[in-house]
Amino acid sequence: MNKRTATRQGRPLWMFLPGGLLTLVVIAVPLALALYISLLDLDQYSIREWVGAEFIAFDNYVEAVRDSHLVHAIGISIAYSALVTIGCLPLGLAAAIATQDRFKGRGLVRSVLLVPYVLPAFVVGSTWRIILQPDGIANRIFGTEGLWLNGPRSFWALVIVQLWAGWPLVYLLAAAGLQSVDATVHEAAALDGAGPWAKLRYVVLPQLRGPVSLGLLISFLHNVNSFTLPFVLFGVPSPYDVEVLPVLTYVESFQNFEFGLSVAMAVVSLILVAIPLAVYLRAVRLDTGRGPK
Amino acid sequence: MDRRKFVALTAALALGAALTACGNDESGDAGDNSGVTLTMLMGVNNIYPEQQRAWFAEVSDKFKQETGATVRFETFASANDELTKIQTSVVAGQGPDVYALGTTFTPTAYATDAFVELKDDDWNKVGGRDRFLPATLGISGPDKDHEVGIPFASRPFVMAYNKDMLAAAGIDKPADSWDGLRDQAKQLTKAGQYGLAIGYADSFDPWKFIWAMTTQAGTPVVQDGKAALDGANTKLAYQTYLGWLATDKVVDKAAVGWKNAQAIAAFGEGKAAFLPMVSASSKVTLDKSKVAGKYAYAVMPTIPPGATSLPSGGVAATSILSGDNVVVAKYSKHKDLALALVKLLTSEEMQTSYYKTFGELPTNQAAATALGSDPALAAIVESAGKSANTPFTGGWSQVQLALTNVVVQSIPDLSAGRVDDAKLTGLLGQAQTTAQEALDKAK
Repeated sequence: MNKRTATRQGRPLWMFLPGGLLTLVVIAVPLALALYISLLDLDQYSIREWVGAEFIAFDNYVEAVRDSHLVHAIGISIAYSALVTIGCLPLGLAAAIATQDRFKGRGLVRSVLLVPYVLPAFVVGSTWRIILQPDGIANRIFGTEGLWLNGPRSFWALVIVQLWAGWPLVYLLAAAGLQSVDATVHEAAALDGAGPWAKLRYVVLPQLRGPVSLGLLISFLHNVNSFTLPFVLFGVPSPYDVEVLPVLTYVESFQNFEFGLSVAMAVVSLILVAIPLAVYLRAVRLDTGRGPK
Repeated sequence: MDRRKFVALTAALALGAALTACGNDESGDAGDNSGVTLTMLMGVNNIYPEQQRAWFAEVSDKFKQETGATVRFETFASANDELTKIQTSVVAGQGPDVYALGTTFTPTAYATDAFVELKDDDWNKVGGRDRFLPATLGISGPDKDHEVGIPFASRPFVMAYNKDMLAAAGIDKPADSWDGLRDQAKQLTKAGQYGLAIGYADSFDPWKFIWAMTTQAGTPVVQDGKAALDGANTKLAYQTYLGWLATDKVVDKAAVGWKNAQAIAAFGEGKAAFLPMVSASSKVTLDKSKVAGKYAYAVMPTIPPGATSLPSGGVAATSILSGDNVVVAKYSKHKDLALALVKLLTSEEMQTSYYKTFGELPTNQAAATALGSDPALAAIVESAGKSANTPFTGGWSQVQLALTNVVVQSIPDLSAGRVDDAKLTGLLGQAQTTAQEALDKAK
């Protein structure tokens, strides 16, 4: 105990000041405010004097769970995000491995693969909205009929479009991971008589675990939080099958002016994204500062 | 530095920052206004962006001549942008002095209690309450003594129709009842041509139809703080509106995915005979389309579905009271100057020039009377006079959303060519609950 205090005193803690202050102003204060607002009956009638809004403890949370579509929206958000994340894995890995070896035009191919990822979500949403119209290109090409932007198929439309826009992230991280696999490891494996499949399975993939799982985590969190794409694609009010959490939160705030309720929903979604994040941090031991064992 | 000092310093800094943000420097309007800048927030005009910039400069110059103060215009791109700006300004107590708001948003703005209620004296400063068309004052406040919105532009809804198609079918004029319109639409539907163009996926159009039909039936969706979304006439209105596509087959099936602009485009390509629920701004698009010169505007039907004449208690509303109101922020340090700006904007001269530039009708009585004689505008001016206001309640946005939601969730059935009675009843029940809760909260 004594020893620990001694080492602490030796540290120049004041150097935390700029960063600490920034964290306080940018993260801690707004977060505390958000938590407080989620306990208020804050709406269009009380926004002007918001500090004076009625304190209603956890009523907003009760209302969110009992009377709103929150639980349904969480279900939709998690289900589609998980599907998209799972879908990103084979696509991203395959593309990374396919563009690993040098060939003519590789730079171009690599750039083209990133296009969906760098396009703004608004552009992606508007474009796919046109493609998926009842008389749009998608129905014409696949000979299908009917709706993609409402009804049961809209859920799959969301999965497909989000997958299209999101998979290059996994590709990018996998490609970066591949670069770091030392050439000598490949040589050693080849000398031991490993074929391409064995090399991939026992040499390359284990080394990609770190970057790829980071990619999948970011992808999952990004999907759970994605607002623009579903908003542009389906509009508000959301069709029931694609009523995702961020859009629901938005509607409560900016269409229904139920700010307290909306913030309560936002707090719930914060907890939601914190869970996989905590699992990941635990797994890579970033939280202990000791690095993976 | 030990930890306690560190915490104390951080807290002091944070508090200091907060206090600075709350600070304010009071100053009056009396005397010299040079150097004073007023800010006005307005929606960006995507149809006439350059003209709008020129108009800003013109207003600013004129205002400077009259008062010595300058006006700076800020624009918002969407209703959401606008709302965010209003929210932050209202909470912070600083921001634009004058706002131009959509009429249906005025009750919500009133509910925030952040805008100046106009007393007699204030009305005099904007040139008198009687300079405005009486109908345009319908949504300025809950009653005559509590008005915040000053009418600035009028955009009543009308119906465009294809003159050639109607003539070819031997129809001399559009019907004045919704049932009659449906029958005409059936008559006009043939290969490659539909009777009606409707934007079922629009975020706003659907509720306007339902509002109109139920108001005409004498059973408005909201009356005296009570919602009637689960009433028989509301259901009939939905059945009529959804039935055009599902059962009457007078609307292109693809319209389940259309927004208002796509409905206008379909009409512009000559694929539909009637285009209800458009404002005068559709003229810009239509005059460049294939139907240029072949279409005209008429008021929408005023006899509700299932009726052949206006029922007792029914209001022959041709449109919601639509357009822009301007409001002055309570926190503005230059209230009198702000009112002087509104006076300038609503003067006969400026209103006429605003109409000529942007196609939005004047709210100024004299300017509107002068325009009424133009036959091309007859239907639009008529609709402006026969518009009825949506209920003045802070809960209206929620009611509006609940009404639209019923259509959104009915689209899958609609696409399959049916209006499921049980499902519609269920949706209307939910909408009723949501709407009534919102109205109960209204203060």
